[in-house]
Amino acid sequence: MSLTSINLWETVKKQYFFKLKANIDAFSSLIGIQLLALLFSFGGVGSVGMGGGNFSINIKYYSADLVIGFTLLWAFVTAITITTKPYRNHDFTFVTNRLSSSLSNILFLLTASIVGSITAILAGNLLKILAHILLDGQIYSINTGIQELVMGVCVTIFYVFFVTSIGYFIGTLVQISKLFIILIPVLFFGTLFLDASMQKEPFLVNVFTFYTMESALSLFIIKVIVTVAVFFTAAISILNRMEVRR
Amino acid sequence: MRVIECTDLTKTYLRKIVLDKLSFSIEENKITGLIGRNGVGKTTLLKIIAGFIKETSGQVKVFSERPYNNLNVSLNSIFVDDQMSFPPAIPLSEILTVAGNFYPNWDRELAKRLFDYFSFDPKSYHNRLSKGKTSTFNMIIGLASRCPLTIFDEPTTGMDAAVRKDFYRALLKDYIAYPRTIILSSHHLDEIEDLLEDVLLIKDGKKQFQMSISELKEWAIGLKGTTEEVLNLTDGKEILFKEYFGVNTIYAVVKNDFSEFLLNKARLVGVEISSVQPSDLCVYLTSETKGGIDDVFNKH
Repeated sequence: MSLTSINLWETVKKQYFFKLKANIDAFSSLIGIQLLALLFSFGGVGSVGMGGGNFSINIKYYSADLVIGFTLLWAFVTAITITTKPYRNHDFTFVTNRLSSSLSNILFLLTASIVGSITAILAGNLLKILAHILLDGQIYSINTGIQELVMGVCVTIFYVFFVTSIGYFIGTLVQISKLFIILIPVLFFGTLFLDASMQKEPFLVNVFTFYTMESALSLFIIKVIVTVAVFFTAAISILNRMEVRR
Repeated sequence: MRVIECTDLTKTYLRKIVLDKLSFSIEENKITGLIGRNGVGKTTLLKIIAGFIKETSGQVKVFSERPYNNLNVSLNSIFVDDQMSFPPAIPLSEILTVAGNFYPNWDRELAKRLFDYFSFDPKSYHNRLSKGKTSTFNMIIGLASRCPLTIFDEPTTGMDAAVRKDFYRALLKDYIAYPRTIILSSHHLDEIEDLLEDVLLIKDGKKQFQMSISELKEWAIGLKGTTEEVLNLTDGKEILFKEYFGVNTIYAVVKNDFSEFLLNKARLVGVEISSVQPSDLCVYLTSETKGGIDDVFNKH
């Protein structure tokens, strides 16, 4: 039987479509988790009340920010999940090498980030409609144009994809040694408390502000892209040396 | 063309040596049986060939390339065992479609027919299959993918006798129609010896021998007769296996390098001469100690 050959991108493309099918459960859990976040948001995220002699005003704020928060969490967990052994073994049942497996994983995570971000932002509109139907009282909403919406979705995609790269990297570390399951949370909370007890700004807070408090969009995008690239490259080079199905 | 070439292949896990300077090669379009006792490194060897795990030292070439992380080796080979894993979200019939997308020589028709013959439910899922059904399904993937190098590692685990028979027949028929290199590792040499052309016997991570099945069938002979005569005949030879019957009768297996004259002489003094089944011979050759399970129970 004659030999055939294939290039990397063809394989990645095939694996990508395979993974969309295989990880369909990730998207159903996305819907579940966003509905849950919507439910939580329905109580309002803040309220202000004031009153005079014979009147009182109660202002409640509704926002779907919580949906984005939950989506970030979902993205993190999804990224960790696909680095685990069973998921890597699925690839090795068919045609793959370690690089194509990771690249298709990254494409899948990017798709997941895009889907998650769009639904998360649109969930804000759903909240408005639900509030309009179910709540009595005057509803005011700040009208945002399509441009705002698109920008909101884009920035959210960057955040979510950023989180998946962290998740993928951490997941990979755990595949090297289960010790990282303990080590990473210890380091995370350890630095927080250690710095706080030493009366200085915790290091992680600086990291957090570095990414989230960036007001220039282009700079923010560059920061995220560079960091994402570093995390994924590190993960790929680790996974490249890992044996499967031992 | 040599499909697989190993030179001084060594694999160690921590400090345990699993494969020890293994050198052999496998020719194109042959069915080779990989035989050995439990835990001698058969699966490790096959996984190195499939590119799943890395060799510690030495060289391994599949289609003249190193298999680890090699896309072309992955495309042209398939490794079938009972641990093959499929995504739990994809139903069985769709797994066949997915496999068809990946493997260029995939035979959709054959897969479908085998799928129906073994009466799989298209809507069922791989993780719900029984042990034997899992092996059967994996075997279908292995056959229909028609990879130039097809590796079956203990493919019959859990299969009942009827399905095993069907599998061997299907394998042979498909091999004749589409010749390819097949490696079959199995404990049931007696069942597969009609299929095999070559046998590669491994003991303690080393190659014991590699020869064709017809050579193997004539490699040794069994002698049965009075203890005195048999021991006389096998004097100076390595007795691979011996068993006592009654008081004064012994059955011994030795390498067949007797002259016809000597054999005739042996027959005259009442020694029964018989051929040795390849499967029995492999057990004798790979046994850890001379003797058998009986010796465990014999009180000295």
